[in-house]
Amino acid sequence: MRMGTSGRLIIVAMGAVLAAAATLRAQAPATHPDFSGSYERYGNIFGQPTAAQLADKTIPPRNPPAPLKPEPLKEYQARLAAIREADRKGTPLASNYTSCLGDGMPMMMNAMFPIEFLVTKNQVTVIEEAFTQVRRILIDRPMKKVEDVEPGFYGYSVGHWEGDTLVAETIGVKEDIRYQNVPHTKDLRIKERIHLVAPNILWNEITMEDPAVLEKPWTVTIAYKKMPDYTLLEYICEDNREYRDSNGVQQIHVNK
Amino acid sequence: MRKLLPILFVLAGAAPVFAHHSFAMYDHTRTLTLKGEVSKFQWTNPHGYLEIDVKQKDGTVKHFSCEMTSINMMTRLGWRSNMIKGGDVVTVTVAPLLNGEPAGLLLDVTLPDGRKLEPGVPAATTFARTPPPKE
Repeated sequence: MRMGTSGRLIIVAMGAVLAAAATLRAQAPATHPDFSGSYERYGNIFGQPTAAQLADKTIPPRNPPAPLKPEPLKEYQARLAAIREADRKGTPLASNYTSCLGDGMPMMMNAMFPIEFLVTKNQVTVIEEAFTQVRRILIDRPMKKVEDVEPGFYGYSVGHWEGDTLVAETIGVKEDIRYQNVPHTKDLRIKERIHLVAPNILWNEITMEDPAVLEKPWTVTIAYKKMPDYTLLEYICEDNREYRDSNGVQQIHVNK
Repeated sequence: MRKLLPILFVLAGAAPVFAHHSFAMYDHTRTLTLKGEVSKFQWTNPHGYLEIDVKQKDGTVKHFSCEMTSINMMTRLGWRSNMIKGGDVVTVTVAPLLNGEPAGLLLDVTLPDGRKLEPGVPAATTFARTPPPKE
């Protein structure tokens, strides 16, 4: 079938319209919120919550304990008992903090000190003030295989936006980098859903999956409150007088 | 009469306080009150230090090292690095090291002008205070 000049013109015009639409989509402003800024841990209640705290829907529910399988549970409980006993005797066991090592993932997201999120098109950068910890969530990049990631403190993170929620996944966290002393294997996967629940309150729902040690995925929720006028301070371990002795006990050099 | 710096206390009560390091090596059952001359106020992480020389009854001088908290936390509580200077005579309340070495965890310091500052030690109330000796 032969096409007339007008038909060819219509097809060319339609093509141009489609190309323009694609360009517009590529240039369109992101629909996700830019929650960049400094935040502090929020709603971390140590004792009994007050009635006001219970009624505050921006405070997440108390986090459940890790649903550990029997063997890793024994190891975990023994470790906690050893820590308690050492503290009771006044000879605390050394931790990574003793050596001025940062938290790693996902503990840095607990925001011991203020935490900063930098939302950009291709990367969300997270900076934790304590120990100047930095992690990068690469947006719309393919996930790697566990065996292709060198184990590290922060692992390898990719993410994408689902509406208003940043969905991130992390693999490749060293086995001795533990969240609250909970053991894990090299196959740990950390899935995060980060989203605003109020104009100044951000939640991070962190789910840890590790079938070899966990009976089921373990989700903890951390809330952060925006610090509008706060700029993160530097943090350098300039003079760490504490050290780990040969028995794994924390000691301190004393200036005399 | 001792003057207090109210903002530090207000902030200390409101700020979330987390510990990096265990303070279990310090005695939780008693405190020492020491008056001494500052040889150095060290504004560093992971913790700040106040180094003081304390005159003993026999006339000798004993050096005492006072551990504080992270200077980031202290900054958020209102501290600044120039609040204490070498040569200042200060009075400190410390939880001493259990091993007997001349060092302690600083719970509060009273400056020459009478201001009393706290460095925001986590769970500071778990350290039982010994009343200072009568002068």
